[in-house]
Amino acid sequence: METPALIALIAIALVGVVSAVIGSLGVRVARSTSDFLVASRTVGPVANASAISGEYLSAASFLGIAGIILKEGADALWYPVAFVAGYLALLLFVAAPLRRSGAYTVPDFAEARLHSPALRRVSTAFVLVIGWLYLLPQLQGAGLALTTMTGLPAWSGVAAAGAVVLLTVVGGGMRSITFVQAFQYWVKLMAIAVPAVIVLGLFSFSSSSFDRPNAPQFVNDTTISVRTDAVVQVVEPVQFRAYGIIDGRGVDGFVRWEAGEHTALKGTSMQFSRGAPVPVVVGAPPTDREWLEPMTGESSTQLLEIYSILLAGFLGTMGLPHVLVRFYTNADGRAARWSTVIVLAMIGFFYILITLVGALSRLYAPQLLVTGNTDAAVLLVPTGAFPNGWLGWTLGGLISAGAAAAFLSTSSGLVVSLAGVLFTDILRGKLKDFRLAAVIATAVPLGMALGVSRLDFALTVPLVFAVAAATFCPLLVLGIWWRGLTAPGAVAGVLVGGILSGISTGITMFARPPDNLLGVLLERPAAVAVPLAFLTMIIVSKLTKAQIPDGVDGALLRLHAPERLGLSHDRLDPRRP
Amino acid sequence: MSTTSERSTRTIYEQVQESPEFTQLRSRLRRFVFPMSAAFLIWYLAYVLMASYLPGFMATKVFGNINVGLLIGLMQFVTTFAITTIYVRYADKHLDPAAERIRKHIEGGA
Repeated sequence: METPALIALIAIALVGVVSAVIGSLGVRVARSTSDFLVASRTVGPVANASAISGEYLSAASFLGIAGIILKEGADALWYPVAFVAGYLALLLFVAAPLRRSGAYTVPDFAEARLHSPALRRVSTAFVLVIGWLYLLPQLQGAGLALTTMTGLPAWSGVAAAGAVVLLTVVGGGMRSITFVQAFQYWVKLMAIAVPAVIVLGLFSFSSSSFDRPNAPQFVNDTTISVRTDAVVQVVEPVQFRAYGIIDGRGVDGFVRWEAGEHTALKGTSMQFSRGAPVPVVVGAPPTDREWLEPMTGESSTQLLEIYSILLAGFLGTMGLPHVLVRFYTNADGRAARWSTVIVLAMIGFFYILITLVGALSRLYAPQLLVTGNTDAAVLLVPTGAFPNGWLGWTLGGLISAGAAAAFLSTSSGLVVSLAGVLFTDILRGKLKDFRLAAVIATAVPLGMALGVSRLDFALTVPLVFAVAAATFCPLLVLGIWWRGLTAPGAVAGVLVGGILSGISTGITMFARPPDNLLGVLLERPAAVAVPLAFLTMIIVSKLTKAQIPDGVDGALLRLHAPERLGLSHDRLDPRRP
Repeated sequence: MSTTSERSTRTIYEQVQESPEFTQLRSRLRRFVFPMSAAFLIWYLAYVLMASYLPGFMATKVFGNINVGLLIGLMQFVTTFAITTIYVRYADKHLDPAAERIRKHIEGGA
């Protein structure tokens, strides 16, 4: 193994080991609400906000955002904006009332508000669906990071991430998980901030500019292996060595591409020299100037697609199981509000940095644009900017550590919430051991991650957010704000939204949706599924008015009146052994 | 819990529910949360709309590599943070004191 690969491997391993050690310092296993209560009394506000941010900033944020910025440029800004805005929606509509309800998962909330075992079962099922779907890209992100940095096979990264997550969750309680995730936030922030500042310095002392009507240029001599058939656009003639099938003909030697569209089939290898213009995958802006200008295109399907992603991000965040559960580690509704402000500052700052690194990757990792698989962009920036030197290698190691922290923190948060739900709802009475629930919570997505081929974060993450937005967002928002919600209405709405978004997720994962309006809606279902879920919930509730629960006024009062009234109560789990 | 205390709890719920203070608290919360969300959503969705239909304006150069579109994009982060801070301040200043008055009302009436 070469030096840079070794450094990256050591950095990744170090984050894994330190996380496992901090995690194992806790004594008790987080198995019930009361453990979150313990955490809320012993964890300070900044540590708690760091943990929330650490848990939220996933592999998709760490790797995916920079990748999509590299490819789409200014048009991709709404991606990080959607992830940040999701927290605002959570704060405005859900955070404080949910904290007061004493419920820390959606099934708990559903039961407390509507007293329906059927609704509890449906919500439990969707917590698992959403959690597992979101764990999938996290684990696959670990595989991508390991392959990119060390050349090791992707499955080893997936398996190692699964093992470390399981160790931290099984080894420690909620309190120690909180410190693990707080630690991981600061690792991620440093891992992005230091390279961002140094590479930005390099950029500002160079004569480079993005404001030019040309394609990006290879920063070093580069060999590209085409893994899936690629169609690229060339704006200025480029010459390169190739072995494989180019433009439909077998080639072994020099090729010259004139301006226009060209193809390179799977298995082809292409060698470009330093300074050559980069052919850019079809569909992405081919020149730096177009990349710099926000231009989402005139077609109505494109606008629909973007609105759909924005809606999913804005309304989906509140439905992610690991995000919601975190608000329970606040002492009260007021603390929940303030911790959201700190969290927004923390994640907002991170997203601005990652956007900056994404922009710099256009200069220092443009080779990814040929195939369009840009998720590794952030990992390749250091060695692109400082090839063959300790500075580049060290920064590369730092970024690898950040990526490791990213997929570990989100995954362990998800596994904690899923294992809790499995333990209390699905396997009640069948399992004596919370640890077994954690194993099941990890094993399912691990199997999926090894079996399903990896898709771009830009595709998978908005899909998970769409499922969350179409199921739990209507349930939470109407449950908190509308007196007229009934259990049949809630069940119908969650099912309609969940089935619609679930079908489109399944199709997108295993097939290629058609290139028309239907295809856009299959890949980006939120624009249709979310309004339909709300509508179904409202209409069915109106039709079943008689079933509005008796204690609804008391329940709503508890949600909206402050804790000091003494009307809300912290739920202690009676099933706890 | 005894029957007596259960009955008295229900009375408190009803009392609070009907009190003008609680109605005021709820309306204050709604008056803030819903218009603010609407304003934010419009600003958020308008960005995409401008990028689609006013590309010339969005591409106007401000300085160096920065154009109007990028500035508006970055402003989205800033406004999200600003709205959050405003909301939390509003809640601390107007919602919590209103809740405090309800508490006094209950204790006084009990």
